[in-house]
Amino acid sequence: MKARALVRLWSIFGEPLWIVVSIGFPVLSSLALSLLYYSIGAGNYIGFAVLGGVMVAFWGNVLWSMASQFNWDKQEGLFEIYLTSPASITAILVGMSVGGIVGTVPTAVIVTAIGWVLFHPAVAASWGAVAITFALTLASLYALGMTLSSLYLVYGREAESMNEVLQEPVSMVSGLYFPSVGSLSPFPFALQIVVSLIPLTLGMDALRQSLFSSPGFVSLWVDLGALAVMAVAFLAIAAFSLKALEMKGRRDGTISVRIR
Amino acid sequence: MTRESTRSVEVSGLKREFKSKSGPVVALDGVSLDVGEGEIFGVLGPNGAGKTTMIRILSTLLLPTGGAAKVMGFDVEHEPEKVRRVINMASGAEKAGYDFISAKRNLWFFSQLYGMPSALAEKRITELSETLGLTKYLDRKFYALSTGYRQRATIARAFINDPKVVFLDEPTIGLDVMTARSIRDFLRSEASKNGRTIMLATHNMAEVEAICDRVAIIDKGKIIAAGTPEELKRRLGAPALVMEVSPPPKDLEMLRLVAGVKGFTSSADDERELSTIQVVVESDAASKGALDAMTASGHKVVASWRKEATLEEVFVALVGSGFKEREEEVGS
Amino acid sequence: MISFRSLFASAWMGIQHDLAWTSPPAALVLRTVAPFASAMTVSIIYWFGVTHSGLTFDPARLAFILVGSTLYAHVASYAWVPTIAIAEGKNLSVFPHIYLTARSTALYVAGRALSSFAISSTTSLAALAVAYYVLSGFLQTTIILTITPASLLMLAVALFANIPAALGLGYFLGAYSLYASKFEWSLPGYVAGLLMVFSGALFSTSILPWGVSTVASYLPFTLFIQASRDALIYGNLGDYLTSLGLCILGGVGLLLVSLWVYLAAERRARRDGVLDRRLA
Ligand SMILES: Nc1ncnc2c1ncn2[C@@H]1O[C@H](COP(=O)(O)OP(=O)(O)OP(=O)(O)O)[C@@H](O)[C@H]1O
Ligand SMILES: [Mg+2]
Repeated sequence: MKARALVRLWSIFGEPLWIVVSIGFPVLSSLALSLLYYSIGAGNYIGFAVLGGVMVAFWGNVLWSMASQFNWDKQEGLFEIYLTSPASITAILVGMSVGGIVGTVPTAVIVTAIGWVLFHPAVAASWGAVAITFALTLASLYALGMTLSSLYLVYGREAESMNEVLQEPVSMVSGLYFPSVGSLSPFPFALQIVVSLIPLTLGMDALRQSLFSSPGFVSLWVDLGALAVMAVAFLAIAAFSLKALEMKGRRDGTISVRIR
Repeated sequence: MTRESTRSVEVSGLKREFKSKSGPVVALDGVSLDVGEGEIFGVLGPNGAGKTTMIRILSTLLLPTGGAAKVMGFDVEHEPEKVRRVINMASGAEKAGYDFISAKRNLWFFSQLYGMPSALAEKRITELSETLGLTKYLDRKFYALSTGYRQRATIARAFINDPKVVFLDEPTIGLDVMTARSIRDFLRSEASKNGRTIMLATHNMAEVEAICDRVAIIDKGKIIAAGTPEELKRRLGAPALVMEVSPPPKDLEMLRLVAGVKGFTSSADDERELSTIQVVVESDAASKGALDAMTASGHKVVASWRKEATLEEVFVALVGSGFKEREEEVGS
Repeated sequence: MISFRSLFASAWMGIQHDLAWTSPPAALVLRTVAPFASAMTVSIIYWFGVTHSGLTFDPARLAFILVGSTLYAHVASYAWVPTIAIAEGKNLSVFPHIYLTARSTALYVAGRALSSFAISSTTSLAALAVAYYVLSGFLQTTIILTITPASLLMLAVALFANIPAALGLGYFLGAYSLYASKFEWSLPGYVAGLLMVFSGALFSTSILPWGVSTVASYLPFTLFIQASRDALIYGNLGDYLTSLGLCILGGVGLLLVSLWVYLAAERRARRDGVLDRRLA
């Protein structure tokens, strides 16, 4: 598990150019949306766009490096090696998550720095709460990532395409760039309830509350409690379905099925 | 042989150097050879000898860093478009194809890139797949084909444009004996059609003996022998002397000193406490010299007999006898 | 006609390859989801920002953002196809064989980009239409878009007029992936992000600082989006034709330069032996 995290980190930091490449979308899209807020005269909400850029980096990392990673590994024949190694797959996934989070931090810092220098968004933060919220949000997000990887395990190339399909709508409904839940949300209440099942949604709600003191959907503590529950739940689902799929894979012989 | 007017591949002094982190790597070091029209020409050599590099250069995928090569009279470096019009190539290790597209559609796609009219392309695909036994699998998606059928499709692709010269890099790698044999039959019959030349790199000696008109053995980027398989065996290998020696000698230095000994290999049989040593010799005198040297070094020659060398033995004798030696070279 | 055949076959392969992972209609529907969602995001940002900052809601401004957001996504989605066609081709080992069939792989790359143009024109316009109806219902306003045969024809012409520029961008990116074969998978993010900021998709390029705004306003992509807005929102034929003309002019220039760069990269790739190098 530690080893997997380290491998991930080596592959990120051993290739400094990788950072340059991976910051592209988070930096530019958060810049564009900040400018959008600015251009319509709603500059007081630019902080939302910067925060969105930070979180989209992690969300992208969850989708592209966590969820579809096993599929890549499978094609490379690496997955069989994991399976036959004594470490549990869940542990490997946790290792990958830790590696992914640490590896995405530079991107997040750069997005924040650029947003800060260019726009000076107004912040009214209680930093202790921000730290806890951030940690819990990432925990539940990466737990979701683990669940997704276990699902993608049964699919092949479809996983890539599913990522492309999922990335934007989830970004939208979870309110990466604007409040999708609570009194500021344009969505009907029923929809707000449904989208709250995505950990990112309540995470964003909690982050907005703790960072900008903006009105939330539910109180910060309820958000945090729900995030903790979801983190545990997704982790459990991931562990369970990995076991089940591993068994199924072994029975049906799909584990070592590679496209080429 | 006078092949002046009918050479399809002419290579002279071909060099290729790669830059790598640990300094320049010389993959080809002044290779010269000629291949006549209609020939099947084999290129043999140990791993890393430069076979693939040569094929990549001749098929215009890679530029040489020195020397020159012509295919059907066109210079590969300066007239690549003209060369490409008359060649095709395939690598058995790669099995190129779009995964989610049927074998037939993959072939059709390439025929279109060659500018073939659809009707002609269909006809050619049908013919090729019939001779290659691919017909039943044509409509399967490429990824769903087994290795062997993917390889057949790859080989069909290499002949789709009716090329004058075909370069094949290990076309039968990883195939079962029967499939490999049927592909060899296919190559044989294709080469006899309107003067088509086939140049293939391979590790398979049986393949070379079965279908190649001529062979070149390359090692470390240099040609170390060339000729028909028969010539190679006769000139370099035959006759061979086999002796069973007891106890197994620690080294075979004494054989190196015997005049007329061209190379040797040995395998130890621990149970019977003896070594079987094969010595490639130039003449009967050399055989006798080898036997005497062995006895003189205090070993008992339990049995000895003469044997015609196989191509494999010639190869091993020329290229080196074991991993150890090669590893040292790689390491240095 | 070797070139027409190659182009057609490449476009055909592009469509097959892009849609083959599931049934083609399903793939088209799924491909509409992303541009739809991002159009919704920026539209909601506008609505949210305006209503909670005590400003007046302007349906024409919403139309501006909606059209811009679907069209920059359209450009981004086919401009990076050359990159992916090359990277994928190397992975599947087909790329060197494509190279050996024709004078250059540029033709193949163009075919792939054109097929993607066809797919993405369909899905972006579908996304625009769906977002238009959803937002109209949702925000209970009339978003001001002119949908007449004439305006649609003008939009279609603009879409085609933008092909040289997008293909030009594609060749630049393709030249990169011919050579380096490692990071091309994250190029789409850059392309989309850059277009989002510099093509006037979400806000007028005039808010960009210094000379950047001037350069941005003359980018063919900016002019393409502007021409499309002239067709769908403002209905000013003179402005439309000016933007369109400049877009074509700039696009053709870009295409010529980038094609030259691509062909040079291809020659260099042959020298260095990377045409048939697979990803690690
Ligand atoms: N792109 C490259 N960069 C650096 N070195 C290379 C490159 N391509 C080939 N080489 C080196 O050139 C030499 C010849 O390689 P080549 O692939 O031609 O050998 P080969 O005879 O085909 O071997 P095999 O039997 O293993 O296929 C090797 O030492 C190889 O490491
Ligand atoms: Mg080789």
